[in-house]
Amino acid sequence: MLRKLTFLAVSAVIAFGTLSFDLQKEKENPGDRLVGIWEPSNGRSRIKVDRIGNKYYGRVVWLIEPNDAEGKPRTDINNPNPDLRNLPLRGFRMCKDFVYQGDDTWSEGTLYDPNNGSTYSGTIKMRDDNTLDMRGYIGVEAIGRTDVWKRLKMPSKKKK
Amino acid sequence: MYKFLKTAGIVAVSVLMVTSCSGPGEVHEYAVNDLEFSLEGPLFAGPNGAQTEISIDLADVLGEAFEEGMRISDARLKTATVFPHDSLGFSQINAFVVAFASDNEDVSMQEAAVKNPLEEGAAEAVLDVAPEAELGEIMEDGKVYVVLDADLAEDYWDGNRDFKLNFTLELTIK
Repeated sequence: MLRKLTFLAVSAVIAFGTLSFDLQKEKENPGDRLVGIWEPSNGRSRIKVDRIGNKYYGRVVWLIEPNDAEGKPRTDINNPNPDLRNLPLRGFRMCKDFVYQGDDTWSEGTLYDPNNGSTYSGTIKMRDDNTLDMRGYIGVEAIGRTDVWKRLKMPSKKKK
Repeated sequence: MYKFLKTAGIVAVSVLMVTSCSGPGEVHEYAVNDLEFSLEGPLFAGPNGAQTEISIDLADVLGEAFEEGMRISDARLKTATVFPHDSLGFSQINAFVVAFASDNEDVSMQEAAVKNPLEEGAAEAVLDVAPEAELGEIMEDGKVYVVLDADLAEDYWDGNRDFKLNFTLELTIK
């Protein structure tokens, strides 16, 4: 009985400690709720968002068509800088420099469209923990396009 | 005629002033060696990134030549080489990309070097640098995030993958 109680007490302490740690982390960087893997509405790619310093970046981690017509991994052939057209498209940071502004909003960032090499200003609004409104625009935010992104769960089991 | 000459004179003096104020500055080479990156597992096939923070102290770069108010006006990556830092070497690595970023909200992250694809059996990866990548504004605040992305051919569940990066920058200092 005593052993059982001790086990329960230790489990409770560990659980509380983990919870406190997570809450503390979220308190320090409330924008970190954006971190994770997201899928745009067309389902043709998946984007992993990470924080670097105080800004958030999203890079392509999966493409429905990872290879070009010749069967080689696609690269950023439309990059305005010719020296960077060999960047692998899988891995490319298409969302850059988003800063958390509070109120579930990240802004001051840019969205890159590898289909035409254009960069747009961007704003991200989190509707709920699993849904983002990703808005890209040129100049005036009112004139732009919003895409809905859904959060994906990270794989947790080792594949055999 | 006098009015034209006067206007032309004012324009000429203005151009001269702008030119002298925006002189090229002094160019210094700045090398960073053995910068360590650890891609933290579990790692999935595809791109995986690691970041390290560096500080560029102009007083250190310039030594006695340093004067208060000096700043980096331009920076370009000249060389970048990645070395393996664990027993796995470059096994299952398809490509590397090096990028630079800062906390400055007005300055965007910049990719500056890439190696794609990686040569098989290479002991080091000499990256192709993008000389047009302008890194001056990123370096200006002194605190810089160096980001190394490695593209993995397969999932890796058994720990981290570690690499070292050597790079040289050409800093223009005014």
